Amino acid sequence: MGRYRYLFTPLRLGPITVRNRIVFSAHLTNYAEDGLPTDQHAAYYEARAAGGAGLIITEEHSTHPTDWPYEKLIHGFHREVIPGYKRITEAVHRHGTPIFAQINHNGGQASSMYSRLPVWAPSPVADPLFREVPKAVNVREIAEIVAGYGLVARHCAEGGFDGVELQCSHSSIVRGFLSGATNTRKDRYGGSLEHRARILLEIVDTVREALGPTLALGVRLCGDELIEGGTTIDEAVAVAKMVEATGKVDYINTSIGVATATLFMIEASMHIPPGYALFIPNAIRREVDIPVIGVGRFKDPIQAERALADGHCDLVGAVRAQIADPDFVRKAASGEHDNTRLCLSCNQECVGRMGLNRWLGCIENPRTGREAREPVSVTEKPRKIMVVGAGPAGLQAAIASASRGHQVVVYERGDVAGGQVRWAASVANRAEFGDMIRNQLNELERLQVKIAYGHEVTIDHVHEQKPDSVVVATGAMPTRPYWAPPDEPRIVDVIDILSGTTKPGPGTRVVIVDELGFHQATSVAELLADRGCDVEILTPGMVVGQDLGITLDMEGFCTRAAAKGIRLTPDSVVMGWNRETSTLNVLHHVSGHMKDSQADLVVLAVPGTPLTALYLELKRDGVDVHRIGDALAPRRAHSAVIDGDRVGSLL
Amino acid sequence: MVAMNLLDPLPIGTSGHCAPTRVLFGPIETNLGRRRSFTEAHTAFYLRRARGGAGILVTEEASVHPSDWPYERSPLASSAGPGWSAIAGAIDRLGRGTVVLAALGHAGGQGTSHWSQREMWAPSPVPEVASREVPKVMERHDIDAVVNGFATAASSAVASGMHGVEINAGQFSMVRQFLSGLTNLRDDAYGQDRILFAREVLQAVRSAVPHCIVALRLSTDELAPWAGIVPEAGAAIALALAPLVDMITVVRGSIFSTWATQPDGHTEPGFGIEAARVVRTTLRGAGVAIPVFAQGSIVDVDQAGWVLSSGAADGVEMTRAQLADAELVNKLRLNQSARIRPCLLCNQTCKVRDNRSPVITCVVDPATGHELDDQLPPPEPSGTRASSTVTIVGGGVAGMEAARIAALQGFQVTLAEASDSLGGAAAVAARGSGRDRLATIVAWLKAEIAHLGVEVQLNRVLTETSLAHLKGQVIIATGATIGTLPFPVDDSARLLHAIDVLRLDPPGSGIPEGPIAVWDPIGGPVAISVAELLAQAGRAVTLITPDLLVGEKLSLTGDLAPAQPRLHGLGVTLVKRALVRAVHHGTVEIEDRFSGEPSVIDATVFVACGHRLPSLSLDPDETFPQIGDRVAPRTIHESILEARRAAFAL
Repeated sequence: MGRYRYLFTPLRLGPITVRNRIVFSAHLTNYAEDGLPTDQHAAYYEARAAGGAGLIITEEHSTHPTDWPYEKLIHGFHREVIPGYKRITEAVHRHGTPIFAQINHNGGQASSMYSRLPVWAPSPVADPLFREVPKAVNVREIAEIVAGYGLVARHCAEGGFDGVELQCSHSSIVRGFLSGATNTRKDRYGGSLEHRARILLEIVDTVREALGPTLALGVRLCGDELIEGGTTIDEAVAVAKMVEATGKVDYINTSIGVATATLFMIEASMHIPPGYALFIPNAIRREVDIPVIGVGRFKDPIQAERALADGHCDLVGAVRAQIADPDFVRKAASGEHDNTRLCLSCNQECVGRMGLNRWLGCIENPRTGREAREPVSVTEKPRKIMVVGAGPAGLQAAIASASRGHQVVVYERGDVAGGQVRWAASVANRAEFGDMIRNQLNELERLQVKIAYGHEVTIDHVHEQKPDSVVVATGAMPTRPYWAPPDEPRIVDVIDILSGTTKPGPGTRVVIVDELGFHQATSVAELLADRGCDVEILTPGMVVGQDLGITLDMEGFCTRAAAKGIRLTPDSVVMGWNRETSTLNVLHHVSGHMKDSQADLVVLAVPGTPLTALYLELKRDGVDVHRIGDALAPRRAHSAVIDGDRVGSLL
Repeated sequence: MVAMNLLDPLPIGTSGHCAPTRVLFGPIETNLGRRRSFTEAHTAFYLRRARGGAGILVTEEASVHPSDWPYERSPLASSAGPGWSAIAGAIDRLGRGTVVLAALGHAGGQGTSHWSQREMWAPSPVPEVASREVPKVMERHDIDAVVNGFATAASSAVASGMHGVEINAGQFSMVRQFLSGLTNLRDDAYGQDRILFAREVLQAVRSAVPHCIVALRLSTDELAPWAGIVPEAGAAIALALAPLVDMITVVRGSIFSTWATQPDGHTEPGFGIEAARVVRTTLRGAGVAIPVFAQGSIVDVDQAGWVLSSGAADGVEMTRAQLADAELVNKLRLNQSARIRPCLLCNQTCKVRDNRSPVITCVVDPATGHELDDQLPPPEPSGTRASSTVTIVGGGVAGMEAARIAALQGFQVTLAEASDSLGGAAAVAARGSGRDRLATIVAWLKAEIAHLGVEVQLNRVLTETSLAHLKGQVIIATGATIGTLPFPVDDSARLLHAIDVLRLDPPGSGIPEGPIAVWDPIGGPVAISVAELLAQAGRAVTLITPDLLVGEKLSLTGDLAPAQPRLHGLGVTLVKRALVRAVHHGTVEIEDRFSGEPSVIDATVFVACGHRLPSLSLDPDETFPQIGDRVAPRTIHESILEARRAAFAL
């Protein structure tokens, strides 16, 4: 722990002492079933407790039946949750780790789809995401809300939690009351900040009474909603002081943004620098004495240490870091920095799945979200495995099969590992995506798996080697659509740009044809615009970069694209290429109009074609062969990793 | 009555099965499942339709192979046995002879890897249109596995008591993907003969369940003539497969038109009738006598009766109509077809293939999909509580439904409406382009409350004092008023709200000349219908939205894609990702959401289509039960749901 002066020092949060300053703070998981916590919850939190987290704060538990914004929400107001609570707290306590429950009512940031009840909020201001007008609660209903918090706090106490955190920050009826953007009331719950904070202070009173003196109580506040007319830092600091003045609250947690308006800043992707929200705990900590938690894309223990050393906060929330590697804290403590599976902040399988109603996972950790399942056992019969291809699929297959105790060699045709990931990571602000390969290579080194570079595997080679099984992870090659003549040098693939094979100069008119709807086209567009090209993205989709919304990259991309002059042309299908005039014939499929688009260079972002020759030959010869990743079907990196993990674990 | 022919029995197959009526309830997605199994909620859902007189019930499609997991709660055949048993048992015990079939299918390349965490399987690597996910090209052993899956699933369904199976070659179907040039680009035997896979599947199923019904759901029009199945080719496919099946339901749609199989009210009801006729004529011409069913927004019994009498088909699928009124066939039998609660073809709550896995329900019958939770209204007044009086304040959909339910419970009901007509916001919304069917629920409720003897008092404005003096119980359903705008509007600017435009007679008429800006912060059907209405009247219309696309909230109803060419065709100018900053006389100031770039739109009239606000003038302290838009302005669905709850609580 030599390099850490603050990170591994204990701290009191009221009646509870944490052993270090890293918090696994609250985040949705979609692990609940029928409104109840599950064994997966227990296993998930236990893995992070075992991995050394100083404090765990669970995902939110709803305090009232009018609150049901997403399907897999824990309904804390039902007593039936208590056995599940006990399973969670017992599992976490086995590792000496304290665990708090976050309790919340999402207020107007919801719809009535699941609850079949009117949505409740301070005022009838429709949420920007759900767009349903809520019912403005009357004073009887406010009392019911406050009582709901008390009820759920009692359930939490009975369920063995060490404390409760009130989420008043980014998706909450309390936030709704605190914010001038959503509270237009004229009664004693609206108007001045003191009035808007009244419900919070009533909830604090009620919850403290429910918890008694032996359990901790925290309040999570939003320091800047990043919306017009919303809460900003001065008001947040003032509210924090009111909260402290109650004498009933043991710590303040912080956040930034509104979940249904500015989520891209709450769970920022790799485009936003780490520690971007530290001004919030900093400002609050100057004015209050109780401990303050800071959050905001902490993926490295050194960053966390620095935030503590600089006095921004007393504890650091590091969620995605511990989603990717449950042993993040333990490895930091023991100096195993290279062994840490660094989070990419790609948001693809953690944040990205929440809005899709799917369970939380991780692009590079197949075990995340599956902790409750039996781990793969070590084989009694080690076998000889050849893995062909050192992209993310092949590397993960090698990790999984080597972990089983098999003897594995990876063969790679090129001279570096990583497949398409290294191209993806080669553009500005996407470099962290490359940590996926760094992490896989580190793991293979620990497992002492050899990678043979510059080695094109042939069928004869396989027959010489006589492996027990072959895993074919040969990837895919760029495809040319029917309208692109094979010998036309002015039509290239995104990989040709990323690899530097094609280097268009400033002023080149580039049209990117995007059928993938993800970072491939938008990354290359930014890269070329930065180099002075005139760039347009054409897509048959209704929106350019459609899936960037899922990873919370849409806002940033649209803003940057506007600044860089990138033209975004949706609803458009390429029908042909005219060599003489150097134009694309483009059908605007919504109107049926054809237009010509001049291009010095056309860049394709289209699905690849699987490289299957070796697989088919081996199969024909009766070799035990398995095909994974893009060689099976060209998809995204997570598919490659889980294919590799599944096949590698089954061998 | 022409529709009475729907009550004729229909023999199906060669094993003595006979559907008691010609009305089919199709294999609609419900999200009533638990994990991948059927539940008691499914049983109650189907049983209610069987009680109501459906002749054939086709249960929600079950995937025949684990490589298919198209939506979270999609049933899996290998987990479906107990559910099928429960459903078939309940329907058989009812003793009405209802035929119950298990829909079986595989979504192929129209599925997702989200739930299975595995690659999709498909004939060729054609990406799923919405997700762009590329499937695995099926190898020979994959094809065999799926064919066997169909046979095993059919055996299991029949062993569980189902009377047969329906094989899906319609929408979301691997079988159709093999049949179609859009999705089958193979150069092996399955590509040279695109019917081969369907034939293998049906042969395997037929051998597995030789004495049961094998039905086929077949898309004969993929609406993609450049490579897809066209109606004549579809009829040829039907003819080729007919020897292997006992009945065919004719549908339409492809990977590029998933919306077109169950479209909303913008598509003319009965759009599939002629396609069915082509198939039936082809089959009959070749001496094939198996029944053909027509599908396609058929929600009216008179149209359904005409389908039979005109020889287009032998039976009619009326799925959504029986979501709206489970008693449709019974009412027809009782000569009460005018009392059938109408389907609005709104698709707002019955199209549930959505990430959020909403449970199927119906805007006009919220008990649909909630058969185990919700109290069902009695068909006729039960008991009499003539001494008990109830006053419902407000004659919109909420108020009328509350009056109806109260009257059915035997209360003496007065409905007080401040304006000179019933129907409230629904009647006004129905005046928007393409939304005319919303008026049918208003008309139905009017007729029902008249039938039930509710005293309707129009032009009756209640005050706090008169409210306090009312005898008996009171329910407040006074609806909503216009909302506030989050930007300044000059006094000299011409501002209209959506409701103002729709109330004009005819709607949209008499608006001052010049270009019109329509502001849609919701992305919903109201603004789209207003923009279309104005453009149809020849006005220059600019539609302003903060979103990246226009009509974002239409994705659930299936109208998102069709709305785009409609708006383009009408010449509506679309201004996306724009925030309105100010409305002046003749101009609107906007700002790009991302660049902050300001610009100005010329508009003599600004039409605001934003959220409305509850009308709080009466009973601000909420001393009486409140329902519908008076609580929070939402849709017909919430109005009817809350009306029922309040009326049952009287």
